[in-house]
Amino acid sequence: MGEFESLVGVNFWTALFTLINMILTFAILAKFLFKPVKKMIDDRQREIDDQYAQADAAQREAQRLQAEYTDKLSTARQTGEQIVKEATVRAQDRTDQILRQANQEAEAILEKAQADIALEKKKAVNDAKNEISGLAMAIAGKVVGRELTAQDQTDLVDRFIEGLGDAL
Amino acid sequence: MNVSVEGAFVYFVIPIFGGIPITQTTVSSLVVTIVLCTAGILLGRRLTKRPGGVQVLVEKAVGMLYNLVSETMGPHNTYWAPYIGTVFLSSICGTLIGMTGFLRSTTADLSTTLTWAVMTSVIIWYNSIKRNGFIGWLKGFTEPVAVMTPMNIVSEIAQPVSMAFRLFGNVMGGGVITSVLYAALSTASAAVLNLIAGNGLLVCLIVTGMGIAGLAVSLKKKKKLIWKLLSLVLAVVGALALLQYFGVASNIPILQIGLPAVLSLYFDLFSGLIQAFVFCLLSMVYISSACPAPEEAEQ
Repeated sequence: MGEFESLVGVNFWTALFTLINMILTFAILAKFLFKPVKKMIDDRQREIDDQYAQADAAQREAQRLQAEYTDKLSTARQTGEQIVKEATVRAQDRTDQILRQANQEAEAILEKAQADIALEKKKAVNDAKNEISGLAMAIAGKVVGRELTAQDQTDLVDRFIEGLGDAL
Repeated sequence: MNVSVEGAFVYFVIPIFGGIPITQTTVSSLVVTIVLCTAGILLGRRLTKRPGGVQVLVEKAVGMLYNLVSETMGPHNTYWAPYIGTVFLSSICGTLIGMTGFLRSTTADLSTTLTWAVMTSVIIWYNSIKRNGFIGWLKGFTEPVAVMTPMNIVSEIAQPVSMAFRLFGNVMGGGVITSVLYAALSTASAAVLNLIAGNGLLVCLIVTGMGIAGLAVSLKKKKKLIWKLLSLVLAVVGALALLQYFGVASNIPILQIGLPAVLSLYFDLFSGLIQAFVFCLLSMVYISSACPAPEEAEQ
């Protein structure tokens, strides 16, 4: 039968064993439990943080792209409208121009025609005047029995024409 | 009745180096070490990124430990967490191992607690010397004025001593109170049984009868738990008194059942946890004051 130690006392050997046990426990727990578990927790935390950061970046990128595409789309629509508008304006101009040109040409043709008519008329009148004067001279020669001078003739014809002109 | 409160039982002495005593504390300490190391290796194995049930608990516990250390000692001292965790687990298991009944709490031995406390002190001194140099560390004792030197030295020695005695005293005190209680209850039950059996057969029968009747009534009418328990105690005491009257058994310490369990819950479990926590908290505070944050150290 052994004996009891004193209640309040320090036994050197027990203390030494306790110290050895403590160091052993510390070494093993730190190596096999605390550090690996802590590392695992930290690793997972880091991974989660990374993934969140990546997700955030991807979302920002997507938003940026969306804004960019929206921008491009609206630019394209504006450009399209612009082109259509310009084309319309140009077509309108062209139409006006063609119309104007046509009118001008028509007017020119008309004027020319009228001038031609007037010329023809004058020519016809002159021809008729000459014819009539010749004719009248011949008649008058017969009637008067003598040759009229050129001066008489002309005066006569002119007076006749003037009287005729009123009738025309 | 004698109540003897002794230290750890010495199983045998190894006859070398002038005799190495193998005590209850030695054995308990070894058991705690083996249990903790085995549990640590088992729990720390096969960690996965997607944790299973056990790993979640282990991670929660380790995370809490690191958080506590980080909050108490500052983020720069987080690397002390394994040491604090080891002291905490050793202290708790060392106290709780006393509840097995055949092993003695390691923390109920001053050898253990003083070793741990001195270990903490050595760590503190080592860090102070590393930071300030040996001369600077010695000079620290003369602050704020040279007159304080003796008191500073005393407080430096008192620190591990108080830590050791706080833990030891609480666990030991619990053990002393428990053994005193057992002795008292044994005496009390012997007195009660003698009183009833000494008054003759009739009294024994009456007590037993009252107990059984009370138990029957309280069970039938669904009375409160306290009435059932009282009746049960009365019936059992009466029955034991009868046995004693006929000489079958004598002085069975019946009253030792029940009450000590409740007290053990406090003195062993609660007190053990609290004292382990206090010990670790004090260690953390002392160590962190020796290892201030880098920016504070420069000031």
